[in-house]
Amino acid sequence: MTAATSQAPAATAPPRLLALRRFAREFAARRAAMVGLGILVALTILALAAPLFIHASNLDVVNAPGQPLSPPSMRFPLGTDYAGRSIVPLLIWGTRPSLAIAVVATALTMILGSVIGLLAGHHGGTTSRVLMALTDWFIALPTLPLAIALAAVLGQGDTSITIAIAVTSWPGTARLIRAQTLAVEARPFIERVKALGARDSQLVIRHVLPNVAPFVLVSGTLTVSGAIISEVTLAFLGLGNPTDVSWGSMINQAFFQGAVSAGDWWYILPPGIAIVIVALAFTMIGRAVENILNPRMARKP
Amino acid sequence: MAQEAQTAAPLLEVRDLAVTYRSAAETVRAVRGVSFTLEAGQTLGMAGESGCGKTTVALGLLRLLPVSAKLSGQILFKGDNIIGMGWQRLRSVRWAEASVVFQGAMNALNPVRTIGEQICEPIMLHEKVGRRVAEARAADLLDGVGVPSRRRASYPHELSGGQRQRVMIAMALACQPDLIIADEPTTALDVIVQAQVLELLTGLVRERQISMMVISHDLSVLGATCDRLAIMYAGRVAEIGPSREVLGSPRHPYTGILGRAFPRMGDPESRMAPAGLPGEPPDLRGDLSGCPFAPRCPEVIDACRTHDIELWPAGEHRESACIKVLDSYTAIRADQATPAGTRQVPLHDPAGSELAGPAGDVSRTGNPVLEADGLRVVFPGRRGRGPARAVDDVNLTIGRGEIVALIGESGCGKSTLARGLVGLVPPTAGEISYEGAPLRYDGMTLRRHRRHVQLVLQDPAAALNPRQNVFDAVAEGPRLHGMNAGLTERVHQALSRAGLRPPEQFIARYPHELSGGQQQRVVIAGALALEPSVLVADEPVSSLDASVRGEILKLILNLRDQLGLAALIVSHDLGVAWNIADRVAVMYLGRIVESGPVHEVLLRPRHPYTQALLSVLPDATSGQPGRPLAGEPPDPANVPAGCRFHPRCPRRAALPAGDEQAELCRTVPVPVLPAVARDSAGTSQVACHLADSGVPTLVEHSGTAG
Repeated sequence: MTAATSQAPAATAPPRLLALRRFAREFAARRAAMVGLGILVALTILALAAPLFIHASNLDVVNAPGQPLSPPSMRFPLGTDYAGRSIVPLLIWGTRPSLAIAVVATALTMILGSVIGLLAGHHGGTTSRVLMALTDWFIALPTLPLAIALAAVLGQGDTSITIAIAVTSWPGTARLIRAQTLAVEARPFIERVKALGARDSQLVIRHVLPNVAPFVLVSGTLTVSGAIISEVTLAFLGLGNPTDVSWGSMINQAFFQGAVSAGDWWYILPPGIAIVIVALAFTMIGRAVENILNPRMARKP
Repeated sequence: MAQEAQTAAPLLEVRDLAVTYRSAAETVRAVRGVSFTLEAGQTLGMAGESGCGKTTVALGLLRLLPVSAKLSGQILFKGDNIIGMGWQRLRSVRWAEASVVFQGAMNALNPVRTIGEQICEPIMLHEKVGRRVAEARAADLLDGVGVPSRRRASYPHELSGGQRQRVMIAMALACQPDLIIADEPTTALDVIVQAQVLELLTGLVRERQISMMVISHDLSVLGATCDRLAIMYAGRVAEIGPSREVLGSPRHPYTGILGRAFPRMGDPESRMAPAGLPGEPPDLRGDLSGCPFAPRCPEVIDACRTHDIELWPAGEHRESACIKVLDSYTAIRADQATPAGTRQVPLHDPAGSELAGPAGDVSRTGNPVLEADGLRVVFPGRRGRGPARAVDDVNLTIGRGEIVALIGESGCGKSTLARGLVGLVPPTAGEISYEGAPLRYDGMTLRRHRRHVQLVLQDPAAALNPRQNVFDAVAEGPRLHGMNAGLTERVHQALSRAGLRPPEQFIARYPHELSGGQQQRVVIAGALALEPSVLVADEPVSSLDASVRGEILKLILNLRDQLGLAALIVSHDLGVAWNIADRVAVMYLGRIVESGPVHEVLLRPRHPYTQALLSVLPDATSGQPGRPLAGEPPDPANVPAGCRFHPRCPRRAALPAGDEQAELCRTVPVPVLPAVARDSAGTSQVACHLADSGVPTLVEHSGTAG
């Protein structure tokens, strides 16, 4: 009876839109989530708009405006690097590859992990055993050497870093999605759909996937921060594009130019802090999404 | 039985108890103004549907409710008010003086500790005795509840459901309490095990002079075990009094409806007319003035909505919250200019009749629509156990427009048989045929088969995808079969046939916004949207409330009458068969042991197992608990030789040792019952060596209880 009255206005809007609205409302009610989202939006705009207000010549090693490794001053708010370039434009330009690689690598991870997890969970038997053996094999592989080896085979550059990150981080997602698939498929409504005459593909795409999708999303937001750090690590190890400016390559250069031992904090801290902030922003959003979508964490009525 | 001669203060006196759940968003008044007393040595039953507040009252007595619950009123236990009690005192009352038998023994027992340790725990805690003393007591307690004391080193998962519930009872008795609160003690158990547990509980309580309060949704259980009975509705006591009188001559319309929801075999009134109650219980968040039952009451008058409702005396030791019992009732009634409120609850759905079209006179005779021939389903063994013969050579036919009930304990293979008929479980041997054409297990044939034979599951809340609204849930079947033309009309028609009218009001809702009965109607509508000719329903009403149960059974009956839909109803509940089935088949350990017309099988049972099933039904009005069958439910991985039922068979046990007949039962398998179409089945068939040997049957109740 109450449902009838409280849901009456809802009957006009399509359900997916309603669910989205409810999600947006709950998301907006969480401060950490909004802060994280704000940071990300600001950084994305900054990254996309960077070429509009910072000319690429600022990144030119040859025509560097200042003295190498000079401390922060009025002219260079965060000092200069080993070649005498200002740190600020470097930092802003560095956002671009860092974010792009993290997002693309995460997307690849999610697709690979979900497909393998769904297949293994739905089919069971031999298919599941083979796929899970493969997953375990990738879990057991040490991440860094694998990534280094991959980058060595594929050549230096953003593409190989992206692929290396995706290849090494999908097994966790696959395991999670397989477990969730098994849990969803054990529920009676799956049996009902089978009794209605659904094919395997219809069953998985129409019923299992929507029910595991929240877990994919949560796993995704939490993977992004890991991917950013992996990107930095790989760039720091010199596997990135040497001509490109990214936060990882900045720390890499600072390290090899002796910034740490010379105490040139302005060279090494800003990219480090930027990495922490972005990883944190993604984690805050991921946690909020997890809290909203996970029914066990949701408020009891 | 009622001990009216008590002179001392009652053991437990509850005065004006109210429990309110408060959260930031809303206030739910779960219990309002509940008062009752419980004398020492007396048993009080508390009945009502889910959400009526009965469990809240029970747990509130020991303040076991979540922190969001606010209690007010008085709970006087041996003269002390539990509501104002300090924690120290409360802790010593809990378990030592008043203990609880929780519902669902699997969850209430700690899975990583042995049952012995768990029984010792309260003894050592409350009586400050050493482990050895406690263990000796635990062994005694286990023996007392019929679990061999050597099992005390077992973990909960190693015990059967009935044994776990016995362990829970032993735990409740551990500190020799004065009061036991049993919250749905038998709900999750099979009928036969339920009867065993009830017999044990009542026996122990009587023997030890313990007071007991039993919470249940099943009136027949309470009628058989309790001296007094309280019926709750929407957080209030609707009626309270001695069990037999409350059930025999209800003074509140709600009691009558609840009582009729579980029919007695042979009662012609409930045959083909399940009792139900339209509508939903009121929302406990809102303002609740007047009688909370008024919106659903068949005898409502205008004064019900305005008059203040309280418990009025209604005869000796009886109280009722219905204004009918007031002396001034006739005056109140006469006052009303138009007594238009009176509305009769029709036995059959009146709105359904408009749907009776040409389909209404579908011939119910002719060829069987669905058949199982020598069906066998064997599941491979696991972890050292042999293969489980879930369904073992079953012949069954369902005629056009016929309702067949398949009855048995859990684990007897009835659900597997149902899934086999839908084509969800491929048979190991044997054949399913639809309209004479055998089912082949390739994709196309299976999909076609599933259009004609539809499945309805037990728990409607779980059977609906929580992310699909009602429209999508009902449209799912047609969409899967590519029937996209006229989808909206098809869905609307299915919803109104399933009794969700007008359909526009429901299509945008999500499963969690519907009540259990409405959810089950959506599941049925989803099946109807494919225009099937057979509905296979696996325990379609066992997870529903009593008043809703009848409504859903009526719906199935209406669908048969109007659309010519045949149905196989799988249930552990013989009442369902009595309510709506034409024919009944009783299944034991993978085989059908007796089948025939409902009148024959249920009123003149010939197989000892059928007789046992019927004899355990608690007879509410006679106040007699049923007579349980000894032993545990059988294991399909370990089928006995000879007649499968012989180890538990009371008829065989009654034979003298070394009897030729008894030897026959032990060694020679009983022949498999052939499938019989309804027309030729004037009598029942039975798979028993001793069926017609003149050995006395079990059905006659002996004079003494237990």
